[in-house]
Amino acid sequence: MEESFGDLKKGQKTYQRTVPCQYFAPQEIEEALEILSRYGKEIKIIAGGTDLLIQYYDRLYEINGWLDLKNIKELKEIKIHQNQMEIGAMVTHTQLEKSEDIKKYFPVLRHAAADIGSPQIRNRGTIGGNIVNASPAGDLLSPLMAYDAQFKLLSLQKEALISAEEFFIGPKKTILEPAQLLARIILPMPSERTYGSWIKIGKRKALIIATITLALVVEMDEDNKTVKDVRTCLGSVAPTPIEIKEVREKMIGKNFSQLDFNQLGQIVEDKISPIDDIRGTKEYRKDVAKEIMINALEEIDFAYGGRINE
Amino acid sequence: MSKLIIELTINGKKRKVETTTSTRLLDLIRDDLHLTGTKEGCGKGECGACTVIMNDELIASCLVLAPQADGAVITTIEGVGSGDHLDPIQEAFIETGAVQCGFCTPGMILAAKKLLEENLHPDEEEIKRGISGNLCRCTGYQKIIDAIKLAANRLSTKDGGRGEEDA
Repeated sequence: MEESFGDLKKGQKTYQRTVPCQYFAPQEIEEALEILSRYGKEIKIIAGGTDLLIQYYDRLYEINGWLDLKNIKELKEIKIHQNQMEIGAMVTHTQLEKSEDIKKYFPVLRHAAADIGSPQIRNRGTIGGNIVNASPAGDLLSPLMAYDAQFKLLSLQKEALISAEEFFIGPKKTILEPAQLLARIILPMPSERTYGSWIKIGKRKALIIATITLALVVEMDEDNKTVKDVRTCLGSVAPTPIEIKEVREKMIGKNFSQLDFNQLGQIVEDKISPIDDIRGTKEYRKDVAKEIMINALEEIDFAYGGRINE
Repeated sequence: MSKLIIELTINGKKRKVETTTSTRLLDLIRDDLHLTGTKEGCGKGECGACTVIMNDELIASCLVLAPQADGAVITTIEGVGSGDHLDPIQEAFIETGAVQCGFCTPGMILAAKKLLEENLHPDEEEIKRGISGNLCRCTGYQKIIDAIKLAANRLSTKDGGRGEEDA
């Protein structure tokens, strides 16, 4: 059936299209999975729409149908369950920013969410959308990786738990299949002695796509001096968010106060593979990566002995 | 199949509107409901001219599909103040000269309204963050910030220090 527009004279705009299009807004996950198994390739899942609709109205692709997740309540919940933090895919950046539990246990994720876009964008944009959109510059991706996130993918046939590292395979590319739905993000609860730093570099504060981001999460041993584990994750410096694993070898088992911050910064600079784009050159990103790594280590050095808050 | 009817409450009135699966909420508000106080600037969620309050949240109506707003409660600039009675925020904008070309003003006022609903005593940084999704190409930000401070001041002293004119 063809769309007919009653108001063509007034409302004739280039983005109006003529393909028939279905709109689904189910109440239950099971219903959504059934719709996906039937129409998987033809329909697009819509969460907040803050990335998707910009691409859609730019006509990067045609859409034959929408699966709107807004009515599925359980996808909007943040809860602690069996010593894990479970975040529904439809949780907005504003919800992440305002959640007391996220602030207490995952401050790096909270800071990243608070730095996204603007109030208008944070109120609509979701954690699931940020993940599935898989932009190398996605602000939540490096913090999620740093907190060892796993993604619960559902389809009618199977349930899968995939690590952030396996999930992203290229710029805007993931392993998500057409019949699959990202339902939840699962984070292991960090120990008491976990410290973090979030640094986002961009040309302005609001509404900027990151030139580079760093999420550094350090877990101390029981003596609160020796590094037990560390995850150094960056965005906008490679086709996917990445962890610099070489930093682990240099930090784990060492006394934090005896670390060579400059050397660690150099490792980060050497191990990233940024490109030139409108937001910054390769050289700029390499220089800045080193400096923000040093800054993040200094911030943790300053804060530890007490949890980082604001 | 691509047409559908949605129901929403806009500025306190329930409306049923026939729309399509590719219509933006912004166009539904302007073209179907003829509420042209909501403006289109960039169409990419960056300028805030299309800002409305939907389900108690500040949003960019250019980045919402009309069917996504099915069942929603929406306030546009036409729903702020009533008839000849301006909202204290609108009065403050006029008094401080915070309106130049006026194109950003509806969005700015809605952003200010939402900010003051959540925080009646915002400091300057909080005001700036509250309106960070709204661009003023006349660059009259200082007066806009002054206006929001003035409105906050009046709203936080119970009757606004100016009698019970809103009664």
